Amino acid sequence: MAKKTYDLLFKLLLIGDSGVGKTCILFRFSDNHFTTTFISTIGIDFKIKTVELRGKKIKLQIWDTAGQERFHTITTSYYRGAMGIMLVYDITNEKTFDDIVKWLRNIDEHANEDVEKMILGNKCDMEEKRVVSKERGEAIAREHGIRFMETSAKANINIDRAFSELAEAILDKTSGREADADHARIAVERRPSRAPPARACCS
Amino acid sequence: MSLHKARIKAFQDVLEQDVIDIVQLQRLAFNGIPDEKGLRSIVWKILLHYVPHEKNTREATLQKKRQLYQQFIDEIIVTPGGPTDHPLNISPDSSWSTYFKDNEVLLQIDKDVRRLCPEISFFQSATEFPCEKVVNSNGMKRLHKRVEQSMLTYATLERRGLGVSKLSSEIRRSDSVSSGDYAPLNEGCEAHWEVVERMLFLYAKLNPGQSYVQGMNEIIGPIYHTFAIDADKENRQHAEADCFFCFTNLMAEIRDFFIRTLDETESGINYMMGKLSHCLRKNDADVWGRLEAQELRPQYYSFRWLTLLLSQEFSLPDVERIWDSLFADDNRFSFLIYICCAMILLVRDNLLSGDFASNVKLLQNFPPMDVSLILNKAVEISNV
Ligand SMILES: Nc1nc2c(ncn2[C@@H]2O[C@H](COP(=O)(O)OP(=O)(O)OP(=O)(O)O)[C@@H](O)[C@H]2O)c(=O)[nH]1
Ligand SMILES: [Mg+2]
Repeated sequence: MAKKTYDLLFKLLLIGDSGVGKTCILFRFSDNHFTTTFISTIGIDFKIKTVELRGKKIKLQIWDTAGQERFHTITTSYYRGAMGIMLVYDITNEKTFDDIVKWLRNIDEHANEDVEKMILGNKCDMEEKRVVSKERGEAIAREHGIRFMETSAKANINIDRAFSELAEAILDKTSGREADADHARIAVERRPSRAPPARACCS
Repeated sequence: MSLHKARIKAFQDVLEQDVIDIVQLQRLAFNGIPDEKGLRSIVWKILLHYVPHEKNTREATLQKKRQLYQQFIDEIIVTPGGPTDHPLNISPDSSWSTYFKDNEVLLQIDKDVRRLCPEISFFQSATEFPCEKVVNSNGMKRLHKRVEQSMLTYATLERRGLGVSKLSSEIRRSDSVSSGDYAPLNEGCEAHWEVVERMLFLYAKLNPGQSYVQGMNEIIGPIYHTFAIDADKENRQHAEADCFFCFTNLMAEIRDFFIRTLDETESGINYMMGKLSHCLRKNDADVWGRLEAQELRPQYYSFRWLTLLLSQEFSLPDVERIWDSLFADDNRFSFLIYICCAMILLVRDNLLSGDFASNVKLLQNFPPMDVSLILNKAVEISNV
């Protein structure tokens, strides 16, 4: 068997309306770089980054989805295997915030019940164009019992933090599960939906 | 005569015929259309069923279509003075509600055209032939201006105390237009991306059932680019109108890829992805099996390949070369499947040794490669 380069594998998903900055957030996290000229995501994109948490090497497999309605059938099929979902809106665009509710409903319908969620209010570098206050973001997160953070892919604010907090939350849940790479992968990919805490198979 | 010159001559000879021998033209185009003398431009127009095969009707057809396009611009963009009834009229067909809906579509188009082909400067540069009625309107008729304009109108309304929260949120929807290098040009000038924005908006208005879907910008981009750099000035001048109709014709063939409710039908995208998977299995059971075992689904990479006719996978010149073959093939989208299959076969060794992650990455970021290699392989597959 090939030598393991990581202890755990977490599958994460980025969702939210078109143009909120999902691709930029992911690019900032994986390549520590920002560019304004990303082509719109068609379907689904993929990146890998390994982080270290509590002495464990964690490989994050991150799926970046397309925001527009048309792509939902394609993208919702990825919800199932996800262990963490980042739901992004744009603080300078009211509609993307209003749509958070819609995205949450999507998660309820398609993702595992115990998926870790986090709401991100992106583009917080654009204070002069802000239309969604931080308080409103916090309120909706509190209402649904979800973690919340304002981020900027452009100014590199809270991007790393967001990913490590999400990963840490998943780690808390998985602690106890041991570190066989292939085993972990299968657990991620094949976890049945709606099954009550699916830990049993792995502990 | 050099081989290259001979090829150009061969194209020119066919184009000179009274009635074009379409089979012969397809055969030539299939092997690639030379970049010179606006050949690609005219040949695409013929292959996309825009320019008729009969030489003597060509001029008249073009003239008629180009006039029709002007009419579209007048009726849909220039004439409407903006909504006429009261903004708080909530009937679903009030002119304000149409206006709002249009603005939402426009906003999405606007975001996407500003992200079109960022690796080349073409779309950010000024067109020689801006639409006069639009660029000399004090900004009034510019589509992206219109989005900003409607924001202002509403901001005012709100301040006067007329606004309800619903309205004020409508304004803000359009607030995050990013500009960067894709900034609009000054009065009297127009960037190519603005032209593309107009075509897509007209298409959305004229095809309300389908409207605008992300990715259409990637389909119209290469066509417009080809026409806008035509060697002939008159053709360049009408690049927009010609492109609009060619795009419309091409969309008629592939529009089902863009319609979610048709995903499962025989013309829909899932069916196409299934065909690709089948083709791969037939041609290389090992690679197919490997991807299956890794649960690396065709959607992970081929959804975009097929929907956008590979336009996001290669550089623009390569895309144009690939489209020569696609448009030349009578059985257009079978050949697309062969090309996609060829791409996978050409990286089969990497796929067989790579793990899941590196394989997804490889397929989602297909390595630069001589396109003729891919096309030859595709032909090979099509012959078995
Ligand atoms: N000011 C600012 N702009 C940002 C930030 N993040 C993204 N943007 C801009 O927002 C635009 C859209 O970003 P993308 O990352 O392509 O958006 P997306 O959510 O991936 O959109 P889709 O792929 O269409 O679903 C880009 O033009 C970026 O320049 C940010 O943190 N600050
Ligand atoms: Mg994106």
